[in-house]
Amino acid sequence: MRTLSRERLLPLVAILAAVPLVAATSVDSSAGPVIASAETSEEVTLTVWSWRPEDEDAYNEIFDVYEAANPGVTVEFVPFVNTDYNTILSTGLTGDGGPDVAQVRSYGGVQPLIEAGQLLALDDEVDTLANFPPLALKSQTGQSDGLVYGVPIAYQAFTAFYNKGIFDELGLVEPETWDDFVAVLDTLAENDYIPVSSPAKDNWMIAIVMDAIGAPRYGGQQFESDVLSGATDFNDPDYVAAIELMDWLLPYLPEDVVGVSYEDSKTLFLTELAGIFIGGSFEIGYWRNNGPDLDLGVFQVPAPPDSSAPASVVGWYDGAFGVNANSDSPDAALDLVEWMGTPEFGQLYTENIKQLSAVPGTTPEDPLLAEFGELFGASPVSYLHLVNFRYEQPTGDSLLRDGVVAMWLGQATPEEVAADVQTGLSQWFTPGE
Amino acid sequence: MTVGKPSSARLTRPASGKGVGRVAPPWRILLLFLAPAFLLYTIFLIYPLAQALFFSFFEWKGTVRGAFVGFDNFSELFGRFPLNEQLPRAFIHNITFFLATMAIQVSLGLLFALLLHRPRRGRSFLRTTYVLPYMISPLIVGYVWALILNPTFGPFNSVLKDLGLDELARPWLGDPATAFPVVILVNAWFWLGFPMLLFAAGLSAIPEDFAEAARVDGASPWQVFRHVTFPLLIPVFGTVAILTFIYSFNVFGLVWALGGVDGGPVGSTDVLGLLFYRTAFTGGINAFGTASALAVVMFVAIFGVSMTARWWFRRLEGGIA
Repeated sequence: MRTLSRERLLPLVAILAAVPLVAATSVDSSAGPVIASAETSEEVTLTVWSWRPEDEDAYNEIFDVYEAANPGVTVEFVPFVNTDYNTILSTGLTGDGGPDVAQVRSYGGVQPLIEAGQLLALDDEVDTLANFPPLALKSQTGQSDGLVYGVPIAYQAFTAFYNKGIFDELGLVEPETWDDFVAVLDTLAENDYIPVSSPAKDNWMIAIVMDAIGAPRYGGQQFESDVLSGATDFNDPDYVAAIELMDWLLPYLPEDVVGVSYEDSKTLFLTELAGIFIGGSFEIGYWRNNGPDLDLGVFQVPAPPDSSAPASVVGWYDGAFGVNANSDSPDAALDLVEWMGTPEFGQLYTENIKQLSAVPGTTPEDPLLAEFGELFGASPVSYLHLVNFRYEQPTGDSLLRDGVVAMWLGQATPEEVAADVQTGLSQWFTPGE
Repeated sequence: MTVGKPSSARLTRPASGKGVGRVAPPWRILLLFLAPAFLLYTIFLIYPLAQALFFSFFEWKGTVRGAFVGFDNFSELFGRFPLNEQLPRAFIHNITFFLATMAIQVSLGLLFALLLHRPRRGRSFLRTTYVLPYMISPLIVGYVWALILNPTFGPFNSVLKDLGLDELARPWLGDPATAFPVVILVNAWFWLGFPMLLFAAGLSAIPEDFAEAARVDGASPWQVFRHVTFPLLIPVFGTVAILTFIYSFNVFGLVWALGGVDGGPVGSTDVLGLLFYRTAFTGGINAFGTASALAVVMFVAIFGVSMTARWWFRRLEGGIA
């Protein structure tokens, strides 16, 4: 009897075990967009999908303002879990039942939707796109056709947070030169503080830290345009030198940093074991909520020696709202995203959501956030890999962060890390295109 | 020593066929009984499998199918850097995970099952205790162990330091030399109850008479185990091996919680499940194509090895009988 049951059980179990993985790729592949019919009623309900459940109340308040100004229009905000959002959205946009307006990722993240013809091009439809700087519109531009598919919502910038209490205790001030910066790190280390809290187990922060410190060393915007045009590549000695800076930084990071997670690194800073945290404007909300008594400041990391570009603040445009090509109410949806490009929406966004609005001329209420905005506005540089090298696999930042961890573990030299970045990217990136 | 061969009459099914009152039911009736299972099987197993195979031959633009590209997705899987390095590395990790898990599960699982086989005080309590971790989600198990082994706040290193064993304290999950062995050990802790239960069920299915007869013939406890219990447990070994193999090739949540989605540090804990996840959900415009190809490769590997192992265990069983 035992033999009999096993005979039947095993093939079944084998197939069952493999199926969840296979089934994960089984999504209906129905045809592309259809032209939506015009509205037949004056009452319009627009659904807006988003990956930000935590912003639901804030968005509802913002859309109340729009509804008051546009009688007959109801805006329904439907958020989904961030991690599942891409799959939900790409499936939702494929058939019926999708949103009219969708929050979409930027740069490489939005390309699959554009390529699939699931979003409307906005160039001739949305006048407020003219309000945005070219850097912002680049985040929503289709790689193949050069058209803009989303109204940018926010931008993020990253630089160094510091604990003012610890700085005061040790008589430290915000560093203005590289030597000052090194002296600050040494003083923190001598006084048993972790100079810079940063994770390497969750290694996505590594590309951020490298750009925050090393962008001036590799040449900032000039390097970006040179590498895009093919005038140089990632084997450039200046880029290798920027990777070497990460090796230089290692003794200032938490002990056994390759085992330190993102949450750990934030906890080290919150519990005042670390003096500096290199991070982004997106973390301000976390600090405010979890360490309301933490006296926080931010400073721009000074340019390292031999830099060919001035000290800068690196950032990127983070998310946009696009219109579903299958929307039943495309005109009303276009009107809504048109409004999302106005300073009125931008100001409401930064006040309610507490992020930096992508609409120029808006002022955040949080002084720290405002400082991030000012620093980025004064010397903006693109987060190199996110902005330019996330359009295909392997992405630039995944190659860089794996390489830097290998370097920290003594398994790779800075030259090898740079060479891997170049080899990986050259498989899909052709300079000058 | 002579050990009586189990009476074949007791374990053999009665002969079936015409002439003993059994008449094959009409095909319509057969179809009626087969249809529900066949439908479910087709909708949820055959169809997705066939679809994944179909998808893997096309280029994808997001969720929209593009041109037929033949085996391009497969050649990308095996040729594109760093996928061409990650795929064999993940495959080797899955194999290592399987072999190490088998070694631990079979030895400790069988030992615990044997120790808990005879009625003794606390047997139910211990059995439940060993099985308890298996009841918890692997994600939670991984998360808790990641906290315990955390190099900054974790109690494990603190205890080592308190005991004066400072030189042993290390970033267990941050050091490529220790990360994967730690994953295997945490998994052993988590999964041990499962083979133990299977062995326990196998042991209780062996009639006590056999061992008793052997003891009457003068067999020592080791001889009873070696010549009576062990051969009769071979089918259970087969089941444990094949289920462990399938589990090892689909392991995901535990490794994700311990090593992150990249299977860090430097890919030392990367497995096929994580690689599939990364390819499918962060794989760019043609993610569906490459991920479908990877799913097909994984299915062929799992199904092929499972069938071969099943055939091998049946032969082994036949040889012993």
